[in-house]
Parts: sequence; C-alpha cells; structure tokens
Amino acid sequence: MKQYIVRRIGYSFLSLFLLSLTIFVFVRLTGDPATLLVEPGASEADLQAIRVQFGLDQPLYVQYWHFIASFAVGDLGQSFYYRTPVLDLYLQRLPNSLLLAATAMSFSLLIGIPTGILAAVRVGKFWDTTGKIFALLGLSLPAFWVGLVLILFFSVYLGWLPSSGSGTFWHLLMPAFSLGWFFAAAHMRLTRSSMLEVLGSEYVKLARLKGLPEALVIGKHAFKNALIPVITLAGINLVVMINVAIVVETVFAWPGIGRLLYEGITFRDFPIVQGVVVIGGAMIVMVNLVVDIFYALIDPRIRLES
Amino acid sequence: MSRIARLPIIATRRGVIGLAAAAALGVEARAADASQITIAAHVSLAPTWFDPAETAGIITPFLLLYALHDAVAKAMPGETLAPCLAESWSTAPDGLSYDFVVRPGVKFHNGEPVTAEDIKFSFERYRGAAHDVMQERVAAVEVVDPLHVRFRLKAQWPDFMTFYAASSGAGWIVPKKYVEQVGDEAFKKAPIGAGPYKFVSFKPGVELVLEAFDDYWRKKPAVKRLVFRVIPDESTRLAALERGEVDVAMSIRGELAEEVTHKPGLVLRPTVGSAPYWLYFPEQWDPKSPWHDQRVREAVNLAIDRKTMNEALTLGYSHLTGSVFPENFDFYWQPPAPVYDPGRAKKLLAEAGFAGGFDAGDYHCDSAYANLGEVALNNLQEIGVTVRLRPLERAAFFKAYAEKKLKGIIQGASGAFGNCATRAENFMVKGGTYVYGDYPDIDALFARQATEMDQAKRTELLWKLQQLVRDKTMYVPLWQLAFISAVGPRVEQSGFGLIKGYVYPAPYEELTLKTRT
Repeated sequence: MKQYIVRRIGYSFLSLFLLSLTIFVFVRLTGDPATLLVEPGASEADLQAIRVQFGLDQPLYVQYWHFIASFAVGDLGQSFYYRTPVLDLYLQRLPNSLLLAATAMSFSLLIGIPTGILAAVRVGKFWDTTGKIFALLGLSLPAFWVGLVLILFFSVYLGWLPSSGSGTFWHLLMPAFSLGWFFAAAHMRLTRSSMLEVLGSEYVKLARLKGLPEALVIGKHAFKNALIPVITLAGINLVVMINVAIVVETVFAWPGIGRLLYEGITFRDFPIVQGVVVIGGAMIVMVNLVVDIFYALIDPRIRLES
Repeated sequence: MSRIARLPIIATRRGVIGLAAAAALGVEARAADASQITIAAHVSLAPTWFDPAETAGIITPFLLLYALHDAVAKAMPGETLAPCLAESWSTAPDGLSYDFVVRPGVKFHNGEPVTAEDIKFSFERYRGAAHDVMQERVAAVEVVDPLHVRFRLKAQWPDFMTFYAASSGAGWIVPKKYVEQVGDEAFKKAPIGAGPYKFVSFKPGVELVLEAFDDYWRKKPAVKRLVFRVIPDESTRLAALERGEVDVAMSIRGELAEEVTHKPGLVLRPTVGSAPYWLYFPEQWDPKSPWHDQRVREAVNLAIDRKTMNEALTLGYSHLTGSVFPENFDFYWQPPAPVYDPGRAKKLLAEAGFAGGFDAGDYHCDSAYANLGEVALNNLQEIGVTVRLRPLERAAFFKAYAEKKLKGIIQGASGAFGNCATRAENFMVKGGTYVYGDYPDIDALFARQATEMDQAKRTELLWKLQQLVRDKTMYVPLWQLAFISAVGPRVEQSGFGLIKGYVYPAPYEELTLKTRT
C-alpha cells in the first residue's frame, strides 16, 4: 500500500512537471507579449525595454528555471498586465469562482442526477427522450449564446435580473445556470449510462427476484453503486468550473478565475496563464491522487494489482 | 417598458409579472443615482494605471490618469498641450533647459499643495515607456524654489515637451510625501493625485469607484461619483446600457453600433484616435518589383474606396485621410483629401506596363483588422491587382513587420504617442523599426529638423518631409480609425471627443448629467 501511494505521488509530480513544461512552452509559442503592452508601431527600443523588464530577454531555460523555482516556494510570478503578484490576483478571484462553481455544480447535480436516473429506469420512454434532448442541448449549445439569450430575456426584456457583474444572489443566477447546464447534461448522461450498467448487473437481478420493491432496488442497491463515477467526474468538473469557466465569466462580467485566465491569454500575460493552468492542473492531480488512494483503500484488488 | 411594448402578445402579463418579480427580488434596473455616472469599460482596469510612473506606451492608462491625476501640461479641449499643474513654461535661449512655474494653490486629494519637489520626484520615479529616452537626454531636474522647477538637458532636444508632457506619462504628478510614506505598492492600492476625482475603492476585474474632488483647481466636477464597471463582452455592455445599469458603454462596434442607432434614448459617441491605418509596399526599393514604379503604388491609392469602407465597417465615423501622420500631432501637414478613381488607377497601371493587372502576392495585416483588408482586396481586384489576404495575430504581425520579413502589401497602423518627427523616425527614415527602405531626401530633412530649435523652421522641414512621403506614394493612407461608444439617456456631456485625437471621455470635470424635469 505504501509503495502504491508513493508511486502515485511520484506520478502526480511527474504530471505537474510535464504540465508546467507544456504550458511554459505553449504560451511562448503564441508570440511576444511586449507587442501587446505598447501601441502598434512602437519602436524596437520600447519593445526591448519591456522584454528586459519582464525577463523575456533571458534564455528559455533560465526563464523556465525561474518559473519552477518560484512556483516551488509559492510565487507564481508577477502579472505583466496588472504588475501584481499572480497569486494575489488568483486569491482575489478565487472566492467568486468558488461561489459560481459551487452554485453551478449544485444545479448540475440536482438536475443531472435525478434526470439521469429517471432516464435509465424509463429507457426509450418520454423521460428518457426528454433527458436526452436536455443533455443534447446542454452539451451542444454554446455557453456564450445561452448567456446572451438569458441576458436578453431576463435582463433586457423582462428586467428581472442584472445583466452582469457580481455582488448579490441575483447576479449569480444566470451565470450559474449557463455554466451548470453544460455540466448537468454531462452528469445526466453519465448517471444514465452508469445506472443502466448497474441495473443490468446480477445483484440487481437477484434483488428483484427476491421481490424487493423497485424503489428500494433502484434507490438503495443500484443508485449507490452508479453514483461513484458520477461523483468522481463531478469532482474533476468542479475544478474545471473553478478554473476555466472562461466564456461564462466573460459574458456575465463575473470576476472569477476563468476571466483572469481569459485576460491572461488576451494580453499574453505569461505568468497569469502559467499560474492559473498549473494551479488548476495541481487541483486535478490532487483530486485524482485522493481518488486513487481512496479506491485503493476500499478495493484491495487495486493495490494488489498495482 | 419600451421593450415589453414591442412584444404585444405577452406584453401585459409579462410586464406585470416582471414588475412584481423585480420588486420582489429587489433588483434595481437603474443602478446609477442622480449624481453618479457609471461607465462600462471594455478592458480590465489595471492598478498600474493608478500610478503615472508605470505608464506603458499605450493610451489605455489615460482612461484613469485623466480622472485621478493631473499633469504639468496635457492635451485638453482645443489644445494639444495646455498648461495644467504648471501655469507656464519657458525654454532657455540655448535650448538646454526648460523652466516650469507651478500653478499656485493647487492641492492633491489629501490637501497637500503641489510643489516643484513633487514634479522633480515624479519625474525621477518615472519608469514608463519613455523612461530610457528621458534618462538619456535629461541631465538633471532642479528645484529652484517651491513653485519653480528646471529641467536641464544634455543636448538640444526639440521634442522634450512631446515626450515629457504629452502621452508618455512622465509629466503626470504624484505627491512625494505620500508616496515616500506608503511606498509604491501601497500607492497603487490607495492612489492620491491632483486630478478631478478621488479614489474611493477598487475591486480588480470588477469596478473602480471615484468621487469628485471639490478642490480641483480647474473646476469642481459636476458629477459626484464616477464608477467604472468592467464588462468585457460587447453585447453585455450594450444590454447593461439598455437596462440603465450603466450610462456609458465603451467600444461598441459594427452591427451592435448600428443597433444603437435604432434604440430610443441611446446615442453613439464616435471618437477618432491617433491611429492612422495605411498600406505599405516593402518592395518599392527593389527595381525588379512592380511596386518600384510609383505609378503602380499610386494606382493602389486611387483604387481604394475609402468612403464605402468607412460606411461599411465603422458607420462612416472613421476619418478618411491622405496622411499616415495623425491629424492631431504637432507639425501635421494637411494633405489633399484622398481620391477614389478606379478608372485612372487602371490607366496608371497600363502606363506602367500592367494593363492586364498582376499578381501582387500577399496582403499582410493584423487579424483584428482583416475586415479592412477584405474591402481593400476587393478594390484591388477591381483594377486587376490580385493579392492573397494573410492575416496574422497582432503580436506575430508586428513582429514580422518589424523584422522586415513581409513582402507584397502590408496593412499597417500606429497609435504610438509622439509627434510627426517621432512618427517619421519609426516609419520613414533609415534605420526606423518599420522601415524597409529609405529615400535620401527624406532622411536629410529628418536629420535637419532633429536639431532645429526654431519651431517655424522645424515645422517647415517636417511639412516638406510629409509632402515627400505623399509625393512618392511611399504609403497609401487609409483612415484614422473611429472608436465608437454608446451613451445612455441620463448623460448630457459624456466627454467623448472633447480632446482631439483622444478616444476616451475627458476631461472628466466636464461630464454632466441631464437635469431632471
């Protein structure tokens, strides 16, 4: 078991290292940020001064070493655009993202799981078809379009909700719905398929043969087991919601981490992009690590196989 | 209600439900009160814009600098360089020093007086875009007395005021005592300046709240509070304006701008900045290239239908220009208006030996303005010149442009600050960042004006230089791009367009709301 955990932790560090290297290289492939920090047509001297100021004149390996060494001590560097430590910016936006993600996740689970169960126990019937349409729309309608339609309808036409911004519960509703719908659809589909698999298993058949009430078979025996992959996915989705709700946060002017990342990309602000991506990656790696260890604890086959 | 009225089928029921729900939810459609103007900003506001010392070579920080701070001299309505914190200045006869007289009785937001020490301190801590050039050329700053400061130069520098007092940020003044007391970082969190509005609060990425500074030397601002709300999406900005959540929506383009013209109560406020767009022929110095023949370049000049381009892309608000120098720059020479004459263009091409047209290769542009290129492409096609549009992401485009890697036609632009001399230095004169070749007569004129301290003579030299650029069809100017914003029904004076060549609202002390009847 100890060896298994150590190996998993090693893989996690390797993943993070590869992620940091990838994002470091990729942001630099997008071009020179100095050109975005001056007006078009600025002189080469102006551009060079900016490169020197931000250390972009250094060889790449030196820049990468600075990035990694600083990251190891919790320093994500300073934003080119905001001239503020990236960690400060991240922590300023984190509460907003947590609030949005938690609300959107609650919405997606409250809608996605019951709809998925209903669709699974009524395969090919009305609820199944309705659920499939709901999932199809949620997954295929672009979030920015959903957002704009919501703004037009609820803010401009009806005047019920503020069009954008943050600060009150009412500001939260439209962005949470826009974000949550996509994930609700994903959770619904996974719940449905997971439930169908479980409902077809031998122990559920046995439960039915024993004459247990259908509600008990579904609620106690099938649902509990079908929920594991959904919860695992929800955990990872929560991290995604926190860190990369770029479109929704931009459309609704929601001051979260997704918008910070968007700003970082727009202004080619390398430290912001690197910081947000690596923190997001670290969260996902952490979730996976915890899940792996948890699986190993509850299922001896996993640790024995590994 | 006007929106609801347009949906007759469910108007009444929905209107009642809407009003009831809005009342129940406590949502205020109109966030702004009678003494507040809320501006929906199109960009995230950076704390560095609170500190003039950090002014990068872009215009955006001035959105806030004009509110929070004041400068020794700055662009104001009707004046390129108006005396502000300095009530006057003079140049020594040898051109080696500039003396500024501080306006007496002017205060910072904390009540401290603005003094010569603050001007010296602000200059010395300046680390913005023009830092290197200022340090290279300014020998010393001396405080003669509390209201008198002298800048000593290492050599004559006719453009000193352009760099110091125009849009470099070097001439914007911060309170020495306060900055020394709190430090640079704390200053950005709670800035104090001598501008018409005081800092109240800032939520990064959300909003900035400012309050009128009643003791502002020029006049007491009429609007008590200014709130900048960051709304990155254009459609959302417009929705917020329609709902009355904001009073001004900055940067509304294309179809959305067109939509504003049909909405009662909303008006467009287009402003034209200092960013001319042009076509450039990097191979004009190559005798084997068709672009070497001036008639071919002139044919392109005549083939571009700027009027249609303007109406189609910026609702006719951009300024059509015959110059690649911004109209509001010092030493600007007014060229004749550009002409659209495809017939004459074809004739010129035939005279140059290209009666059947020719394949001109690639048309390079910043992808954000590829729409401009598409129109130009069609215009060129009409006279038989075939080009392929090669839009590049902005950074990559300017990098390739500066590294002299592009061939064919370059659709360029510049919004860099300066005057006509600095513009020529970067784009026309040998060794310039974006210069692919040069003309000796233009270079000679540039060298002469660089040491000419007599303004009249210098103007004459720079006018001649601009005439030569035009006569040689070194460039084909397109337009000076319009920046379009929309203003809501409560605002009387939005401040847009008061300062020539400046695209944001300013001066803020001039902003007014309509009086309620």
